[in-house]
This record gives sequence, C-alpha cells and structure tokens, in this order.
Amino acid sequence: MRIAVVLAFALSLRAQTSLRVLPAETELATRESRQQLVAEAGSGGFHEDLTNKASWVSSNVKVAAVDATGMVTPVADGTAVITAQASGQSASAKVHVTGMSKPFQWSFRNHVMPVLTKMGCNQGACHGAQSGKNGFKLTLRGYDPEVDYDVLTRQSLGRRVSLADPAGSLLLQKAIFGIPHGGGLRFKKDSLEYRVIQEWIAAGATPPSDKDSEVTSIEAFPKSAILKPAQEQQIVVRAKYSDGRVEDVTRWVKFSSNNEGTALVDDSGKVKITGPGEAAISLWYASKIIYSRMISPYPHQVSDAEYNRLPRRNYIDDLVAKKLRSLNLAPSAQASDEAFLRRAYLDAAGILPTPEEVEQFLADKSPDKRAKAVERIFEKDEFSDYWAYKWSDLMLVSSRRLAPNSMWAFYNWIRDSVKANKPWDQFARDIFTASGSTRSNGALNYFFLHKDPIDLTENVTQAFLGQRLTCARCHNHPLEKWTQKQYYQMANLFARVGIKSNTMDVNDVVVFAKTTGDVNHPRLLRPLAPTPLDGDPMALDSTVDRRQHFAMWLTSPKNPYFSRNIVNRVWASYMGRGLVDPVDDVREANASSNEELFDALIKDFIAHKFDVRQLMRTIMNSGTYQLSAEANATNQYDNIYYSKYIVKRLPGEVILDAMSQVTGVPTAFAGYPAGTRALQLPDTQVKSQFLTAFGRPNRVICDASERSVDPSIAQALHVINGDTLNKKLSAADGNVALFLKLGLSDSRILEHVYLSAFSRYPTEAERKPALEALAKVRNAKGDARRQAIEDMLWALLTSKDFLFNY
Amino acid sequence: MIRLDADRAVEFCDGFRRRDFLHAGALTSLGLGLTHMFGLKAAGAVDKSKDTNCILMMLVGGPSQLDTWDMKPNAPIEIRGPYKPIKTNVAGIEISENFPRMAKHADKYAIVRSMYHSAAAVHDTGHQMMQTGRLFQGGVEHPHFGCVLGKLKGSKGDVPPHVLLPRPIGNTGGNMPHGQSAGYLGKTFDPFVLNADPSDPNFRVPDMLPPDYLTSLRVDRRRNWREMVDKSVSKFETSQDARLLDSTFHQAYTLMSSQKAREAFELHREPEKIREKYGMNRFGQSCLLARRLIEAGVRFVTINMFETVFDEITWDIHGSKPFSPISCYRDLVGPMFDMAYSTLLEELRERGLLDNTMVVASGEFGRTPKVNPAGGRDHWPQVWSMLMAGGGVKGGQVVGASDEIGATPKDRPTTPAEVAATIYHALGIELETELPGAQGRPIPIVDRGVGPIKELFA
Repeated sequence: MRIAVVLAFALSLRAQTSLRVLPAETELATRESRQQLVAEAGSGGFHEDLTNKASWVSSNVKVAAVDATGMVTPVADGTAVITAQASGQSASAKVHVTGMSKPFQWSFRNHVMPVLTKMGCNQGACHGAQSGKNGFKLTLRGYDPEVDYDVLTRQSLGRRVSLADPAGSLLLQKAIFGIPHGGGLRFKKDSLEYRVIQEWIAAGATPPSDKDSEVTSIEAFPKSAILKPAQEQQIVVRAKYSDGRVEDVTRWVKFSSNNEGTALVDDSGKVKITGPGEAAISLWYASKIIYSRMISPYPHQVSDAEYNRLPRRNYIDDLVAKKLRSLNLAPSAQASDEAFLRRAYLDAAGILPTPEEVEQFLADKSPDKRAKAVERIFEKDEFSDYWAYKWSDLMLVSSRRLAPNSMWAFYNWIRDSVKANKPWDQFARDIFTASGSTRSNGALNYFFLHKDPIDLTENVTQAFLGQRLTCARCHNHPLEKWTQKQYYQMANLFARVGIKSNTMDVNDVVVFAKTTGDVNHPRLLRPLAPTPLDGDPMALDSTVDRRQHFAMWLTSPKNPYFSRNIVNRVWASYMGRGLVDPVDDVREANASSNEELFDALIKDFIAHKFDVRQLMRTIMNSGTYQLSAEANATNQYDNIYYSKYIVKRLPGEVILDAMSQVTGVPTAFAGYPAGTRALQLPDTQVKSQFLTAFGRPNRVICDASERSVDPSIAQALHVINGDTLNKKLSAADGNVALFLKLGLSDSRILEHVYLSAFSRYPTEAERKPALEALAKVRNAKGDARRQAIEDMLWALLTSKDFLFNY
Repeated sequence: MIRLDADRAVEFCDGFRRRDFLHAGALTSLGLGLTHMFGLKAAGAVDKSKDTNCILMMLVGGPSQLDTWDMKPNAPIEIRGPYKPIKTNVAGIEISENFPRMAKHADKYAIVRSMYHSAAAVHDTGHQMMQTGRLFQGGVEHPHFGCVLGKLKGSKGDVPPHVLLPRPIGNTGGNMPHGQSAGYLGKTFDPFVLNADPSDPNFRVPDMLPPDYLTSLRVDRRRNWREMVDKSVSKFETSQDARLLDSTFHQAYTLMSSQKAREAFELHREPEKIREKYGMNRFGQSCLLARRLIEAGVRFVTINMFETVFDEITWDIHGSKPFSPISCYRDLVGPMFDMAYSTLLEELRERGLLDNTMVVASGEFGRTPKVNPAGGRDHWPQVWSMLMAGGGVKGGQVVGASDEIGATPKDRPTTPAEVAATIYHALGIELETELPGAQGRPIPIVDRGVGPIKELFA
C-alpha cells in the first residue's frame, strides 16, 4: 500500500519542472582550465541531475567547447553561452575564457600537490605516515608544500624528480607502476594526473613560492539537492584563489558522506541515494572543507494540518517545521501537562516536581502556566546545582588533582556564576583574564588543572569552542581546516601563564602572567606570533598578557565557534541530541541537522548578550520542546530532526536523587553532610557504587562521551540486588514508614507514589491491579503490608516511566 | 500479530533464550526489527557443527615485536634492544628471554610476525581494528567480534554470550576508544562487562545475589509488578535505550537465577595452587575467569590486559612518564603475561577445550625498531607480532616474517581485517554473512575478498 501512495504522490508532482545549469557563470582562467557543468531539473520539490541526459551546445565553439557530459574546455578568449536541453526545456550558463593568450605552467602548490593528495600518495596510510613509507615521507595531505618540494626534488639523489628525464622520474614511474610500488597503480600514463606532473617536471619543476596564488574558499554545486531513492547527483566543486580567479577542482576533491544510510559518494563526486534522510557530503580541498547536503524525503504524505499541530511559539518552531516539511515528517502531538512538568523539572533542574507542585500545576487553568512554571524552575536552588554540575563536568572539577579547598573554590565560583546567570562571555573572560590566588578566585584553578600550553590549548578548544584540535598538534588536521601552524600560534597564547605557591599561605597557589616564555613550533623550532584560531596575531615581543588577547577574541560576538559551542551544548541537554552531534565535535565537516535553526539560535543568543538562561527559556517555551515523546506513523525513526521529544535515560546522578526524593531517604556520601544530593557534589571521585554503575564522568579529559547513559546488566543487577535502592525502601524513617504511620489507604498511597515518581495520577488500568495486589495483604500479620508497599514502590522506581525522561 | 518464529527467526536466533518472545512485536522490543530480520542472510550464516569459542586478549599499549616474539639478535644494539632470545620447545622458533614459560608451550601457539595496519599510529585505531576488523569512518559503528558471535549464535545456557574482563579500555590519548561494543547491532548485543578486579581478595560480581533481607518470593513479586507497571507505555517503543533496559533486566534475572552461571564467576572455587599459577594479579585472574566462563557456556571472552596507558605499567614503553620503561617487560608485564598465557593454554589443553577455543593475543600495534633517546620505543603500526592458538590453529609455527630490523613485513603482510576473517572462520561463521546496519542496510562482516590466514589452519 505504501508503494501506491508514493507513486500517486510522485505522479501528482510531475507537473512543473524547471531546468537550470550550475554554475550559472564561470571562468576558464588558464588554457588547462575545465569546467564540469551540472544540469539540474527541479520538479515538485525534487531535484534531478540531468547532466548526462541533456544535450549540450556552445553558442560559440571558437571560444569554448562542450562535450556530451557537460564538460567545457577553452578555445580562445571571449565569452560563450553553454546551453543544456532536456525534457523539452533549456537552460544555460555563461563561460568567460580569459587565459588562452597567457602563458601557462603547472604550479607545484596548486596542481601537483592536489594530484598527490587526491591520489592518496600523502595519506596517513602511505607516504603521509609519521615515518613515511619506504624512506619517502610527504606531509600529511600536503599540509607543507615547501617540505614536500624539498623531499621530492632534493632527497634520494634527485631520482624522484628528474629534470633530465621527466618520464623516468621515480615519482611518475612508481605511480604508473612502471616499477614495483607498494602502493600499486595510482594513475595511468595517459591520465591528466600523469600529464600534470610530467609537464611540471619538464618545465623545470618550479618550486612553490610565497607569490603563488592560494585557495581562499571553495564552493559546491549544487549546495543541496532533494532526491528520490536510488537517484544520482554529480557534485561540482569550484575553488576561488587569492588572485581572484576561479577553477573547477572537482577532480581533486576528497569526498565523503556523513551518513551512508542516506547517500554514498564516489571518488568523482557522484552521489547515490541509499535511503531516506539527510546526508552531508563533505568536500575537502587544500585544507578547506565545505559540504553539500543531500536530502531524500521519507515516502510519507503529510497534510498542512499535521504540520500545524506544532504550535509556532517562537522561531524554533518555524524552523523545525520547515525542516520536517522538507523530509515529509509529521510532528508528534503536544505533550500533556503532566509530561511537560516532569520533563521541564528534570531537564532544567535534574529533580522531579513534588506531588504538591504537580497538583497545583494541573489545577492551574491559566493559559501561560507552562511559561510560568519554567520561570519558577529557574529560581530553584536545584537549577543552580544542576548546571553547576554540568559546567563542572566541562571544567573537569575534581579532587583528582585539586586540593579540597581549591576544588571547592572552583566549584563555588561556577555555582555562583550559574546562580547569578552570569553571561557566558563573562564566565569565560573571568577565567582567562584573572590573576592571583586560586583560593580567593576559584576560576583560576582552571590553570592549575591545565598546567601546560598544550593541555590548555586542547582543553580550551574542546570546552569553549567544541573543537577537537589534538590532531593538529603533530600535523594539519586531516578532517578539519586547522593547520599545525595555527595550533602552535594558539598554544603560544598560553605560554606565559605562571603558577607559583603563595608565599603567604603554603596551601595556596597563585596564577600570574609572565612576561617571557614561548612555545616553539616543533618543526620550525621557533615561536610563532600568538594568534587565536582564525583571529588576529599579537606581536611576539608584546608585554600584554596574552590571555587577555585570547579572551577578547574568544568572547567576541564575531567568534563563530564560541556561541556555537554553548548553544549546541544547552540545546543538546534539553533536546536529547545536539544540532551537531557529538556536542564536542563541532567541526565544519560535522554537519548540523538544521543549520538554519542553529544560526537563528546563535544570533538570538548573541543578541541577548550571551544570556544562557534566556536561551533555555526560548527552548523550553517552544512548541518543539513541548512535543510528545510518542511517535506517529511518520516519525518513528526520526531521532535527528526534533519531530518528537527524544526519550532519554536520566543521568545516574538524577536517578539517584530522584530515588532519594521519592523514598524520602537521602543518600549518604562519605565526607559530605547528611542530605547532600548527588547533584550537589563538587567532585566525581566520591565513592558511590550506584553512580559508577549508572555512569558518571571521571572528569579527566574534556570529552562528552565520558558520560555514558547506556543501560547495562550491571545497573539492573544493582537496582535488583544492590544496597542503594533496597536500603532506601526498607529504611525505618522513609516515606514507606511515614505512609503507614499516617494510616493512609492503599489508594492514597498509590496516588502519592505515582505523583511523586511519575508526576501524574495512576490511570484506571494501573490503579486496579495494583490495588488488588495490595488488598491481598491489607490485613496480613507482621511486615507483610509494608513489604508489599516497598515492592510496589520498587517496581515503580525501576520502571521505564521512572528511569527515563519523556 | 504476525509470527515469525516458523523458520527464519529460529534459524539465526538458535539458542537465544527468549524463544517465547519470538514474534513480531516482541522482536521489535528486543531491537530486532523486521528490517533487521530480512537484512540478515539467514541461510548458512552459521555452521552449527562448529561450536568454537574465543578468548581475545587485548595487550593494551602495544607490545614491542623486538622485545617479545620477533627478536633480531643480529641487528645493531639500538635495534635489537636489551633482551636476548631463548630457544623454545619447537626447533627453530625463538622468543624473548622474558617469556621462559611460553617457551615450553610453543607447540601450542602460532606466532604471526607480519601484522601491520596503515591507519594513524594512535592506540585507538588499532583497538578498533583488532576488535572489529575495521577502521571507524563514515559514521558506522562496527561491532566487536564477540558481539557478532552473540548476535548470530545467541547464548549457550544462562550465561551471556560475550563477557568483557575486567573493564573496558578507557582513555588512551584520543577519544574514548571505539570497537568495544555491539555498535550498529544495537546495545542488546553489547558484552557483559565485569567491572570488578578478579584478583581482589573479596572479588565477586557486583550484586549478583539479592541481599539477605530480600526473600526470593519478594524478588519474584517485584519482577512481576515491575512488568505490570511497565506494560502501559507506548512512548518507549521507538527508543532503543528503553528496549535495551528491558533486555538488561531480563538478562540480569537469568544470570541471578542460574546457579551454574553464578558459580562460573566464583573464583574462590578454584584451588589456590591453580590461582597462583595464573598469577595473583588482575590479568592472571581474568585469564582464569575466562577459562571458567568458557566452561560455563560463554562463547567469547575479551580480556583487556590494561585499562589505560597512562600512569600504569603497560606494554606502552615510550621510556618516559607517564608511560612505561622498557625494563617492565622483564620485571612486570612480561612475567605477568608469560604466566597467565602459558597456564591458560596448558589448562585448556588438559581440559580438552583447546581444540574448540581459539585464543588470540595481540597489541594494537608494534613499536619503533630504533630505541628512542629515552631508552624506550614509540608507536609503530608498520609491523607487530600476534599470537594465535586453539580453535583449529596449528601451533608450533611462525607465519609471516618482518624484515631484518623488524620494521616492515617481509613475508605475508597480514592486516587486522584478515584477523577478523580468521576469527570468524574459526568460529564457524561464513565470511559472506551480512549484518543489518542502520535502517537495515546490509554490511558484510568482512569486506569482500578478505580471507582468513589460511596458513594457521594447515
């Protein structure tokens, strides 16, 4: 039946088509320039790549020629219009030929290196390995053309590149497998790749120079496409150079798909749709990364009424609805009041609402009661505890390396910041601009935890920028745009952080700005001008505190990574999944699931001066956050586009505290006052079998995956047989004892425990069997009734309704 | 409701305890959706006549080939390092003097001296490949060998099919290591993780039995009432974590209620003499526990020799802090491995288990042929040595060879993908088997064209 629906749907859309050619205007700037054009038809919301089906004509074959595949080659300077005809329509692109009168030479930087990179010669598995291969070592993915040139032309007695006998050069002979080569055949003798290298050598093997034009940006055609199952789409990539010219570089781009379940891409940039969903095809060329998005909508028919079920309370809802429309996913219904309240308490403060709070909320008939509840939660101490705990995860607060007093100072500083709703930029500035005692200014312990510039560089970028920079420590980041040079420019910003003991107090440590000291680039063996990522350099001899310069850059509204990171982390915490996932891998090649929404959230966050609570308010009040967790017929597999609330297992600390809350028996933590909740602990080293089994981070490395919420057999065994829950249930002074003391009826007890554990009344279907079971022991002797109540409560506290947020 | 337990489901879920769950609705609740069922090549995926088990020892840190099982006594001092070779009970095979007990059992194991991989020289890549056969890219989380076996053969008796001892590999420098879970097969097939130190004098599996104050009647009642409470909820149907929660409870109850399963974990049942023979340390006792678990029906045991390479003495001999010195091969790590490995092979042989239990021991890479200025050796994935025994492997042989300085494979270069094929082959799993990936997309257990290391079985 589903197939019939799809067919009918496809037929109804056949009516309108529009053809276009990409890129619409381009340049062939050298005699070797080529341009692959893409002919693309749009029809009923779908795209279709007609490049190979279209017939191609040039308006002036004396200027530019085009072949049957849409490949344009230059003939003489001038302008030609290239027209594609398909499905009874035509469309064209303008091509300016400008380079035929100029002399041409292959460039080492812009031609030879891209060939070596695309052919895999300098990849990690081959000569790009740390130790090279067979005595021949290139820089990984060609990050250092000067070094590679030297290796190719000067080492190995000049046999690799032979000016006297270009074709006899080892470089070519190995690549065409003319002589044995561990890497096998890389390209054939009649290929363009061969010709580029052969002609470059024959022309004198010109070295790379500072005057070479460099790639400033790359561009994809199409930027996105909506395709049907099994369709194919060619992606064309154009590079823009510092001298203003553009080139089609598709042939030497490295392609990869982030979701092979939706789209596969081959070496030539041809995409094939494998299933419904969205895939970001990343395009890597000369250390630049962009992506082209391939969407294949689900084969559902969703009516306007279904989309309108998602209330539009703010821009989040508009942009989520837009995305859902593009994929044919219908949003779930709105969550009930009960589900909303429980969810809001857990997500914002890590606690359950009390039975009284639930009853009051349900009884409230005012239309803005959800918004008011959100504000009430923000004012709770538990809200501050919860986010202080989360930011402590990020800052790695723990007694592992900090003395107890220092750990408390750091923790208290974080908690005070949350309580005061300190803007996120100020939070960061307070850390990076301060000097003095780590006791009196807890924020400074950050520098005690991360003592050397390397450690600081990597943790700062992870915690505050969501970037994993570690790869670039030894070579250019293979998946990212960050270069090793940028890494050491950044690291040098932290070269002058001094730490000494406080002369007044032996137990204290003082952080201060030194006026000397540098971090050397390991290969250049000299320090580079301290420069934040993509930021402005500062002079090496400047005596300004380098951290000051860093902090200014870090917290500037113009810094694209700073806001992106925190917005994504907060969003993920509420919505169950980051717009970019995982949250600490916000690199450019890791595409977000809704870029337009991400952008809007970031702009809004900056417009509100980095107000974290305002961001939470916007999220919590959106219709999207308030969607039900129950799936409909279209969105059961969606866990990415927020068409329903994503069910998530509660963090271990939250479960433990909630068990304490419902049973009325607090957890004892050694060394902490009675009544301390798990989420109030400043430290994850505190002994707790429960928390270890349910997963808590060690706070050793800044890595979101340190916190695991996966259910395990060990967890099940612990709640069944372990001491934690069992002792809470059997405690002499807990809620079970209280129920009996107060002489509550079974029905009232049941109501109370449902309200406190699930934030709702039991349904009739739940009430009946439970009361029947309890009635059997109503008049039994001894502890039988108490045990039955304990066991009923146990069943509630180990159920999915309790352990999950939904 | 459609019942699928006629032929297909039973075919590959053979031995799976929850046979009564095998109809469509319940299958979904176990993470085995319809698409998955059909994504799986049911026919012939598993050779039932072959009931082979596997113990995989991850020698975390990466042993140096030159100081263990691929000595180069004739190389210059800065290559050959501080140790001397000794003869073994097989003529022509020599290993390092650090392994005198292993020398007496060389007839039981084969040494593959030409292992290599070409990914980045960091611990994580090797851990991924040596446990799944693959490097992680394109967003696909490949499953551990043991999880694949669990998926295809289910459990045998009341014990889980795959147990991980004593703890997962933690931080080794990069991100948290991949390759230790069931990946795209779903968490239902994740290994049972011990999370305890079996050499601890008070060792027991945490919370295996109810406390004294809880009668078994109450445990049963709680279980029934929990199912009653949980019945009403439809919102969890599409949550994999929620399905997994159900399955972990089920497995926990199975484990608890089986005396045989419980006893398998009780090391105190072993004579003190035997325990000492394995070495009274975490690795030694894990090896002993592995033998007991195999006897009880566990199909696959993964033993991580170490959890991390930082601030602990491991195979990771960079020569400077927080890593280990080369001398630890003589003083600590070498003897620890020597005792446990030799005793395990000896015991498996004595108990008639060696023929149907494959024992694989390997690091994630080798180490630089040249001793570094700190007197240690750094990461070197270009060549290393792996040990294979049992499960049909012919012992007393060397497969492959490295060059004269132990820098690259000279003969029969062997990849982790081939190790995967070798293990699957020994376990009786056809290499053409496809597993259901995301949205049911079939993923072959090994890439087409990759075969087992045939020499081992000759």
